[in-house]
Amino acid sequence: MKKTYIPKLDDLLGGGILEGVSIMFCAYPGVDCEAFGYQMLNGRVEDGDRGFIFTNVAEPETIQYEFNSYGWNLESFIDSEKVFFVDGSSSFLGAPSESKYTIQDYAEVEDVILDAINDIPKGIGIINNLSVLIDYMGNGDTIDIIKNWNQKAKENETTLVYIFTEWDYDTGLIQKIKESMDCVVDLTTIEERVIIGQGFMVARASWTEPVETMVLFFVVQPGGVKVYVPKILVTGPYNSGKSSFVKAITTESVSVDRKALGAFPTTIAMDIGHVDYKGFLADVFGTPGQERFDLILNVLSKEAVGAFIMVDSTAPKTFARAKEMIRKTRAEAIPKIIVANKQDLPDALSPEEIREKMKLKKDIPIIPAVVTEKKGIEESLDALLKLLYGD
Amino acid sequence: MILRIPSGIPGFDVLTSGDGVGGIPENTVTLVYGPPKVGKSIFCYHFMYNGLLQGEPCLYITSDYGLKQFQQNTRDFGWELDNYFQDETLCLIDAISSVSGSKIVDTPTYLSSSVHNPTDIMVKLGVGTRFISQKSARFRSVLDSLTTLMAFNQEMLIVRVLTAYIMRIKEDGGTAVVTYTEGSADSKVETMLKAVVDNVIHLDGNEITIEAMVGTGKKKSSYEITDSGITVGE
Repeated sequence: MKKTYIPKLDDLLGGGILEGVSIMFCAYPGVDCEAFGYQMLNGRVEDGDRGFIFTNVAEPETIQYEFNSYGWNLESFIDSEKVFFVDGSSSFLGAPSESKYTIQDYAEVEDVILDAINDIPKGIGIINNLSVLIDYMGNGDTIDIIKNWNQKAKENETTLVYIFTEWDYDTGLIQKIKESMDCVVDLTTIEERVIIGQGFMVARASWTEPVETMVLFFVVQPGGVKVYVPKILVTGPYNSGKSSFVKAITTESVSVDRKALGAFPTTIAMDIGHVDYKGFLADVFGTPGQERFDLILNVLSKEAVGAFIMVDSTAPKTFARAKEMIRKTRAEAIPKIIVANKQDLPDALSPEEIREKMKLKKDIPIIPAVVTEKKGIEESLDALLKLLYGD
Repeated sequence: MILRIPSGIPGFDVLTSGDGVGGIPENTVTLVYGPPKVGKSIFCYHFMYNGLLQGEPCLYITSDYGLKQFQQNTRDFGWELDNYFQDETLCLIDAISSVSGSKIVDTPTYLSSSVHNPTDIMVKLGVGTRFISQKSARFRSVLDSLTTLMAFNQEMLIVRVLTAYIMRIKEDGGTAVVTYTEGSADSKVETMLKAVVDNVIHLDGNEITIEAMVGTGKKKSSYEITDSGITVGE
């Protein structure tokens, strides 16, 4: 198995991709698909494999520039001859090309790519862009060419990655193209209420029954493809440790609070943070705990996809309030984790005792934690991601 | 009653008035075509600038003129765009500067793309429409011109790109104008272009012809280009 280096994708594919398979990223027009191919190549080459990029949409310098903006050093790969270009772009623009292979005429493209595949056994080749090829070569020819390339790639154990923009081609053609690939990943836009995002989902894979999950993603520069959870809520009674929790799980956070009588600082508006964990990106919103600020709960909880409910394990009297906050933030309907904080204190109740007292269903995870000592933080994040994305 | 938005071209809205207030039907796509140098781009500048004056943001895709030339062209008619870039109501997708080798850093209102990478143009279009449509429920868009895109790509691919563009703009509530130089593509392709848009306007240097427009019959008038833009009629 080889990794794809796209966060979450390996899990959907049963661990990764087999040697010598073809994989097509099939994008609805407007979805950023090139980054998927480039990210796979970058990951593989960093781990020692060799690769090539066939381009008919941008000159090699432009692609190098793009790699740079993602924070990947394509230039060093090329200098050390780990990666080369098959340039199907420059000659059509009348520009000179210094690439290993240059396509002057589309009639050459089939053989040149076959040579390129031969050059990199067990490596990875990126074909960007398949749709442009179809419009040049015609439908029938393209399918035959793809089959020959995929056959050669299989013999050489080379991974072939196709970038395909699904313009309004006839459905029969799209079906045939998809059938000629070992694996197809659909990239689509998601437009729900005000959230507009992009998502990927594995449509088919010849070696496994793919997990049918739509994974939301951003393409960020630098960084590349990042999976994200649009908004996560942290709520719970006063003094349960919400702000500390937000601080602990996020890379940067801001808290709107005041020092009440110089003793304990308390949040009066919200905590905001940004989490970047195992390829998952999320915005985290922490609510205030005091009842007099409840008016803000409604606003903060809008469009949250998951929630952490903080409780002070030593204060069972506040559990009723915790349940009330679950209701007020409408967290009943979304995946949630109970974080049983302050487990280091002598009179802390165990997670099961808390479940009993709060009368929580068995499927709601309760994670023991000591937020001040960063204990239980990762476990809480893992538990929520598992609920959101499955295993 | 068809909602129309003013074109900004003196005389044009009167020409198209018919049943009430004239202009370009809202949430439609208009093809402006004709031979070279008859004022197709100027038509677009009018349409863009008039919207900006009324607080309607604009997403402008240029494949003929890079940022600098684009600003110079509009300045020639006395239309300054700097303020609109600054207040983020004008977003430019520049598909040509990168081809000449100049690398300009992207900002929220300036997105660099490439004429021979339609996939990337659509990605930038998605970013641009998301940004612009958040500013206002009503916005304008210009694609100037299809001819350059066809020079760098297979013609059929550009028809597909245009179809995707039209869907995107209409879904988001925009009104668009696209241009094309008559005779530069296969006649079959030209027919397809006319088929996928809602309105068709022909310019020939002397006469403007509304060949097809939602809610308007075929109309014709003379026009001239002066240093303040296009004027339709006497």
